[in-house]
Amino acid sequence: MTKIIDLSIKEKTYKSKNSQLSILNNFNLEVAAGEKIAIVGESGVGKSSLLNIIGLIDRNYVGAYTLFGSITNSLHTSELAQWRNQKIGFVLQESALINSLTIEDNIKLPLLYAGSGKKEFKAEDFESVVDAIGIKPILKKKPLECSGGEKARAVFARGVIMKPQIILADEPTASLDVENKERIVTLLFKMNKKFSTTIITVTHDLEIANRHDRVIHLERSK
Amino acid sequence: MKVFKYFISKIFLRKAVLGISMILLLCMANYITFTSSRSILSTYQGYQETKYINQEGNYIANLDPDSHMDMGLINENGTQAVYSYLNSYYNYAFYVDGFIVSVPNVDDMEVHLSYMNEEYYKLKQFELLQGVDLGFDYQLDDEIPVLVGKGLSKTYPVGSTIRIEESAIGLPITLKVKGVLKQNAYHSNYYALNSKTYYNFSIFFPVNKDFINHANIDLQLNGLMDITILQTSEEGVADLSEVLKDNLGLDFNFFSQKENYDYFNEYYLHSLKIMAIITFVLLAVITCISVWNALVSVRLMLKDFTINLLVGLSYSKLRKIFYIYFGILSFINLAVVFIFTAFNRYGCWIRKDATFVTYGLFGLIGMDWLALLVVVLLNIIIGIMIVETMLRKIKRIPISLGVLQ
Repeated sequence: MTKIIDLSIKEKTYKSKNSQLSILNNFNLEVAAGEKIAIVGESGVGKSSLLNIIGLIDRNYVGAYTLFGSITNSLHTSELAQWRNQKIGFVLQESALINSLTIEDNIKLPLLYAGSGKKEFKAEDFESVVDAIGIKPILKKKPLECSGGEKARAVFARGVIMKPQIILADEPTASLDVENKERIVTLLFKMNKKFSTTIITVTHDLEIANRHDRVIHLERSK
Repeated sequence: MKVFKYFISKIFLRKAVLGISMILLLCMANYITFTSSRSILSTYQGYQETKYINQEGNYIANLDPDSHMDMGLINENGTQAVYSYLNSYYNYAFYVDGFIVSVPNVDDMEVHLSYMNEEYYKLKQFELLQGVDLGFDYQLDDEIPVLVGKGLSKTYPVGSTIRIEESAIGLPITLKVKGVLKQNAYHSNYYALNSKTYYNFSIFFPVNKDFINHANIDLQLNGLMDITILQTSEEGVADLSEVLKDNLGLDFNFFSQKENYDYFNEYYLHSLKIMAIITFVLLAVITCISVWNALVSVRLMLKDFTINLLVGLSYSKLRKIFYIYFGILSFINLAVVFIFTAFNRYGCWIRKDATFVTYGLFGLIGMDWLALLVVVLLNIIIGIMIVETMLRKIKRIPISLGVLQ
C-alpha cells in the first residue's frame, strides 16, 4: 500500500512564562493509504497535538513531515489551507459547529473555500452525504436546536463532504451515548471501506480503538 | 467575494454591537482628525496670507483694547486730518470690507463691497480668472473699474456695468467689471487666522486718495482700524499714533513684523500645538479602544475563525478579509464626513451666506479634500494596526483542535 504519511517528530514543546512542556519526543509515524489508526494515551501526552501536526494546523515542532510525497515544511500557508480543505477532513466533537449557521451551512462550509476549478462538487454529493448520515430533517436547524447525536453527525458530514483522503477524528464520540457512538464509528469505517479513506482517530475509548487496524499508545515523555 | 459575503453576514454582523461600536470609534477618529486638519490647514493658509502684508518695515494698526471710543468726539475733520497726514508722509495699505450693497444677481446673494487701495491690492497678489487687474486711476464721475468674484461674474461678466448707490460717498456710481477673481479667493482675519471671508460674491472696489477724501466717516474710520503702514520705522508709527490720538482721541498700536510673528507664535502656534497634542492623544485613545474592541471580537469569534481555518481558510485570505472589512468601515466613515462637509458647504448656499459660499468638486474646497486625505491616511494607519493586531492574536492561539473542545 502507498505510504501517504511519513512523520518524524524530534520534539514538540509548549512554552509558557514559567515552564516548558516537551511532548512527542522522537516520535515516528508512517501511515499507508486506507489504514485505520487509533491513537490512545492519557490526557496531556500529545494526542491532539499529534492530530494538529498531521492535519497541517501546527508546524511549530522539530522534525520532518512528508504528506502525499510532499515535504510539508516547504508548503505555503495558503497551500496548507487548500490541503486542509481538499485532502484532510476533521471529525471533531459535536461542539465544533458554528452556532449562528444552520446545520446545512455548517456542513457546506468547506465548499466555500474549495474555489473554482479545483475539486468539482455536485449537489448530489451533498444529498448523498446527508442521506447516508441521516440528518436531512435537521438541515435547516441551528446547532443549539439539535441533540448531541445530531450535532456529532453534522460535524461528521462536514468532515467528509469534500471526500478527503485522510480523516482525522479527535474524540468524535467523547460525549455521545452508546447508540450515537456506534453510528459515528460505523460511518467512519464505511468511509474507509467505500473510498479507502485513511482514518486516524484519537480516542480514550479502548473498545473503539481496538476496532482500528493499528493502535498507537502515546506515553508521557521522560 | 463569496467568502467575504459569508464573513460579513455570518460572522462580523452577527456581533453587530462590535461592528457598530467600531464604526462609531472610527467616526470619532475621522471627525476629530478632519476638523483638526482643516483648522490647521486654514490657519496655515491665513499665516501664509499675512506674510504678504507682514513684511519687514510694515506696521499693522490695531485699536488698543483699552482705548475708549466715543463716536460723538470723532468727526470728519479729524479723520480727514489723519488721512491728509497719512497721504503726506506714508505709504499705506488700506482695506475695508463688509459693506453690503444692493446688486441683483442670479444667485440672489448679498453682495459685499471690499474697498482696497493700490498698495493693498499689490501686496495681496490676487489671482484672476479673467480680465485685467484692478485700476486705481479714475474719477468718481467715471465708470469705476472693479473686480468681481466668480459667483457674481455669472450675472456681471467682464465688460458689464453695475449701477449702485454707493454708501461710502453717498452717490450713485457706475462700476465697470474689468476682471473676475479666481474662485474661492479669500481674506483671512489677521486676529483669527483660521477664519476666512470668501470673495465669490464680492466686488473689489479700488480706493484712491480722491475716493478716501470724499468717503464718509464710517469708511474712513474702518479703514484706519486695520491699516498697514508700509516701509516705515518705530519713530514713524509713533508720530502717526500721536496724530491719531490728537485728531480722534483713540490709542492705536502699530505692530511690527516681529511683534506680529511673536503674537502668532504666542497665540496661534501654541494653540495649534495644543490642538495637535489633544488630537493625537484622542486618536491614540480611540485607536487603543478600537484595537481592544477588535480583540474582544476575536475572542468572541475565535471558535468561528478556528472552524473556518480548519476547513480551508488561510491566514492570507483572513488578512485580506479583515482589510476589506476595515476598508468598508473606513469608507462608510469617510462618506459620513464627506456628506457632512458637503452639506455644511451647501448650507451656506441655502442660507445665502455670501461670505462663506464656495465652489469645489462636489461642494468641497481644496482644504476639505486635503483634510479628507489626512483622514484616509489615518484610516490606513488605524486599519493596519487593528488588522495586524487581530491576526497576531489569532495566530498566537494556534488553530488547534483544543480550541474547539
